[in-house]
Amino acid sequence: MIVAEKKPIEEIIEEVEGYKKILIAGCNECVTVCEAGGKKEVQVLASALRMYFMNQGKDVKIDEVTLERQCDHEYLEEIRNIIDQYDAVVSLACGVGVQFMAEKYFSTPVLPGVNTCFMGVTEERGIWTERCQGCGQCILARTAGICPVSRCAKRLLNGPCGGSTKGKCEIDPNVDCAWQLIIDRLKALGRLEQDYEKLTPIKDWSTDRAGGPRKVVREDVRI
Amino acid sequence: MEGDCRFNNGNIRAKKRVAQAKQILDTIGIGGERVQMYNLSSAEGPKFAQYAVEMTHKIEELGPNPLKKAKAKMAA
Amino acid sequence: MSESKTPSKLEKILSSGHLAVTSECGPPRGSDPETIRKKAEMIKDHVDAINITDNQTSVTRLCSLASCIHLKHMGLEPVLQMVVRDRNRIALQSDILGAASFDIHNILCLSGDHQKFGDNPQAQNVFDIDSMQLIQMVRLMRDEGKFLGGDDIVRPPKMFVGAAANPFADPFEIRVPRLAKKVAAGAEFIQTQCIYNVERFKEWMRGVVDRGLHEKVYILAGVTPFKSAGMAKYMKNRVPGMDVPDELVKRMSGVPKEKQPEEGLKICVETIQQLKEVEGVSGFHIMAIEWEEKVPEIVEASGLYPRPKVDD
Repeated sequence: MIVAEKKPIEEIIEEVEGYKKILIAGCNECVTVCEAGGKKEVQVLASALRMYFMNQGKDVKIDEVTLERQCDHEYLEEIRNIIDQYDAVVSLACGVGVQFMAEKYFSTPVLPGVNTCFMGVTEERGIWTERCQGCGQCILARTAGICPVSRCAKRLLNGPCGGSTKGKCEIDPNVDCAWQLIIDRLKALGRLEQDYEKLTPIKDWSTDRAGGPRKVVREDVRI
Repeated sequence: MEGDCRFNNGNIRAKKRVAQAKQILDTIGIGGERVQMYNLSSAEGPKFAQYAVEMTHKIEELGPNPLKKAKAKMAA
Repeated sequence: MSESKTPSKLEKILSSGHLAVTSECGPPRGSDPETIRKKAEMIKDHVDAINITDNQTSVTRLCSLASCIHLKHMGLEPVLQMVVRDRNRIALQSDILGAASFDIHNILCLSGDHQKFGDNPQAQNVFDIDSMQLIQMVRLMRDEGKFLGGDDIVRPPKMFVGAAANPFADPFEIRVPRLAKKVAAGAEFIQTQCIYNVERFKEWMRGVVDRGLHEKVYILAGVTPFKSAGMAKYMKNRVPGMDVPDELVKRMSGVPKEKQPEEGLKICVETIQQLKEVEGVSGFHIMAIEWEEKVPEIVEASGLYPRPKVDD
């Protein structure tokens, strides 16, 4: 899922400077799972902001809503009838949701309440780690199911580099060396000898961020 | 006592949530000292009383919740 | 091995069967070329080629290419070190042509230390291609005279292509296959990480020789003299991929401070003498970081002076 992290309250307070009627909008999907922007986080943020403004002697209305998702038209439509009551929305959805809401409600400022970080997994409650960077040309079949693009700090396709130490990356002793993981897995699959020495060719990065904003189309499902 | 929760990790989670709440209260200017968590068993009556007194004194020192004043000001 | 394919003096020395000696210079953190010239002057008669590092440890310095050009102007033989951390394939090809336009004939293809170790940890990194693919790319440019994109190159580069090898990095079990991979990618010479654990290096070389790789690539064994016991400890504990045996640290610590540099040089020369006996070793790469003035002494004490002359 998309993993995000709550923005510090001080930053959000700065973002909403001057607004008097604010809607805090959460999302029921990814940001709920990584405990950054779901209903619970909406409640806590709204409550903290109410107390803050009251303490400052400022009269600010703070309302809450949590949508199923903020990346589909149907769910964002659900607030069409109430959006004009507010002069700003703080969306706790990932960067995708914040932007989609801003596109839809053109004349209402939509501010981000979380920092969107990466596509990843829940290793255990409270720890989320990166797995995929959306390069657009998945090579997991060649690398025993472990991605060197997202998990190697140098995205080496023919690794490891000389900085791999005891299975950890040179950048941080807590970060696994992706190539150690790949080698271990190739060994477990009995494929180390035949696969390790295969030279992976230069990657086509045009489907990655480098090629510009991307689009996926399925003509067969369009009317 | 800490770790002896009937619900296993319940009091550990509570401790972390209280810490979070304290941090938020500090950030927004209310003061994290206004919430405090103590561990004790239901059989420790005198200790409970002691903690209650301790907290009362602390709050008296800190003064009323600033929001009370702020609310009153707004109503005026 | 085979005949020379390029005008590289380093390649000529190796293909004539001599033990080659190379060393390295770190460029300055400024634009004064005198530093490079001075360092090169100190070592020029005792080495066959001089490596210039490429923003090593991600610390911004005068670029390797410009430094190599200064060496060419002095009539010396540079080895252009090129990391893939900071440049995409367009810039890499472009810089290779830039080097070739000054008749620089040696290139060492490297990944590069991560930028977090340097003076700009907030920078983006590139890693458009990796070091293995860079080796392939230079060989393509040289042997087929083609750009990566397929167009012809007018006056293709004539470069002797090298790569690094670290017999001491983890995981050990793929360190020989990794060398095989670099050879298959087109590497013609190797400079290894500095060696202190000669036994472990010999183990790696046995694997290398078993696969006949020593006949396909020239291996230059890396050595670095300890300046102090502190340096030995630092390298043992704080530098990834470095194997410093306890007895060497003990030896360095066992002599008084003023005598430590001398002991470090002694150990270095002894290491070279041991390595001379190891099958598959074609030469030495002496990395005397900020101690370049000792290179002549090391070369002479190791019986590697004078350097052989080869026709240009």
